[in-house]
Amino acid sequence: MSTINFSAREINFKIVYYGPGLSGKTTNIKKIYERVPAESKGEMVSLATEDERTLFFDFLPLDLGQVNGFKTRFHLYTVPGQVFYNSSRKLILRGVDGIVFVADSAPNRLRANAESLRNLRENLQEYNLVLNEIPHVVQVNKRDLPDALPMNMIQQVLDPSGTVSFHEAVASEFKGVFEPLRAVSQLVLEKLAQKT
Amino acid sequence: MLEPSLDLYGATFDKVEAVLEDLLAKSHARYAIIIDLQGFVLMHSKALWAPKPPSLDSLATLVASNYSANTAIAQLFGEKGFKEMVQQGDEVGTYLEELDKKALLVSIFDSSAAIGRVKLFTKKASEDIRAILENSSEIAPNMDFDSKWENSAKALVDGLFGSGES
Repeated sequence: MSTINFSAREINFKIVYYGPGLSGKTTNIKKIYERVPAESKGEMVSLATEDERTLFFDFLPLDLGQVNGFKTRFHLYTVPGQVFYNSSRKLILRGVDGIVFVADSAPNRLRANAESLRNLRENLQEYNLVLNEIPHVVQVNKRDLPDALPMNMIQQVLDPSGTVSFHEAVASEFKGVFEPLRAVSQLVLEKLAQKT
Repeated sequence: MLEPSLDLYGATFDKVEAVLEDLLAKSHARYAIIIDLQGFVLMHSKALWAPKPPSLDSLATLVASNYSANTAIAQLFGEKGFKEMVQQGDEVGTYLEELDKKALLVSIFDSSAAIGRVKLFTKKASEDIRAILENSSEIAPNMDFDSKWENSAKALVDGLFGSGES
């Protein structure tokens, strides 16, 4: 849930990158950190294991600028993708405003994508939230894999109704990194404007 | 829905700010910070003598996450949560009190402060803040998130994320 801080004159939104292990969530955040101008970003925090797998979360605060005298800020988080870190994933979803689901294009990860999406729905239920009511987009990462699955196959599995926007990406090369973030940010802003 | 985590504005804000300043003066802590459980800083105060704090965004996120993780650990054992949340290093420590279900008060202190004083005055400050909030009759300032606001915010999003992809 987005929050307003009248004393600091800030409006804050929380965007979470979700998806199966090794799909590229942390890579997205790192690339965003590299490309966003210094004046628009804060420190990046990563709680990772020794082999650089996300243990708890990555965090990057972004400052969009001022609208009507209020600073508008997005806090980006990733969750740990590995199946056994579900408690951590659940905690990070608290107060989420928007979700970028990072799917993996590899054929042997199709099932992991579907299971991660199911897990996302289950964890949202813990906060009485429903995925369809939360602004979200899907980034299909690793499109450069020689055996990458066709987009329509991944879409059929993750969004058979065709209501969610899908974005192709090669996050490690900074291709398709900003696009899903921009899309989900706009959905979050639209939702706020509709509700007030 | 957009709402403040705590109703901190107007006279209520000034009163809570005075409580935080009093807490720092009496406990000799470096910083007193109110954060919400989503990891956002709601309010902060720094002792005049204290060095510049680290990134408050990082601090708030880590404290809120740590609190959530500790609560989850307690719940594994059938507890609601842990009563004492204190961290102590060689030089710096943190002490945390719940303000309500949405917000926390964190005192950050160094070796010049006695932990007993920090605990005592942080507990007292949290009680005072709860009382101020309960008795507050402030009405939230009206914010109009109309299509003009939406378009301006979207333009900022486009400006920040709209270019630079290879």
